[in-house]
Amino acid sequence: MVKVAEKIKNTREKINALDFDAHWYRRAFHAFGASLIFYYMLPDVDWVNFLKIWVPFFIVLFAIILEILRLKGKVSKDHFFGLRMYEEKRIGSYVFFAVGILILFEFFPQQIAIPCILCACLGDPVIGELRHRFGMRHVYVFGFLLCMFFFVIAWYKSDVKLMLLASVIGGVGAVVGETKKFQWLDDDFMIQIVPAFLLLIVWISAQHFGFGLPGPIIHPLEMPW
Amino acid sequence: MDRKEYLKTDYKNLKVIKTEILFTPLLIIFPLIIAGSLISDWYLRGYVQGNSSAFEGELILGIIILIGNILFDIPFIKSLTHYKRK
Repeated sequence: MVKVAEKIKNTREKINALDFDAHWYRRAFHAFGASLIFYYMLPDVDWVNFLKIWVPFFIVLFAIILEILRLKGKVSKDHFFGLRMYEEKRIGSYVFFAVGILILFEFFPQQIAIPCILCACLGDPVIGELRHRFGMRHVYVFGFLLCMFFFVIAWYKSDVKLMLLASVIGGVGAVVGETKKFQWLDDDFMIQIVPAFLLLIVWISAQHFGFGLPGPIIHPLEMPW
Repeated sequence: MDRKEYLKTDYKNLKVIKTEILFTPLLIIFPLIIAGSLISDWYLRGYVQGNSSAFEGELILGIIILIGNILFDIPFIKSLTHYKRK
């Protein structure tokens, strides 16, 4: 009887430890996503450009298929670490995260894509952590300033007015995207796509009004041979 | 933090812990390599060749990735070693 009680206690402790891990695992996974901008460092040659289109596409497709199999019960949820309760019966956030990054890579210039990716990868966990620790509603003000900073980095080489406009619109878009969470549309997707579409309008309008657009932030590496 | 918000498994939890441990080196080392590559690219193609202004965006991004990842990796590794000790 004592042994059973001890076993239950040990199992409970393990589960509690697992919860704690899951929290930081998700945060570390988010931050890891920022390194995916190495995509823009890849050399600008035909065969690499071909891979740049298709490899991310197939990775995301694999994640979608895996999620469908999990939801259908063909793959055990025990293989998925750190899923939240609300993700048990809907597509996991990591798929939304990956689809958002794929759309940015394929359809947006890097001056828009990079700050949006940074908002999702670093802005989102920082906002989440501050909210967890301090429970402050005005944590979104800090989130806005942080996301705005990411857009300043990407647009600082453009006209000052354009840089300010882009960074304010980008920051607002990211915070609005972060606050929106629907059953079939996750904030990890919205925090990337909402500012990206708003900035695409700024990008097209700036060309129309004759503003100088910012150059690329990351320059592709040269082939060593 | 709310510990009730994550899906739980009890006796099968070894599988998920294995998933976590399997990804840990990638989660930690890959961002450091990318941050290092961005910073070294700024140094080699920018600073050394007297063209640092064209590459300073890479330097800032490298520093952001480095700090951002260290910020979240340290508590993650701590929580992992905490679990292992248990």
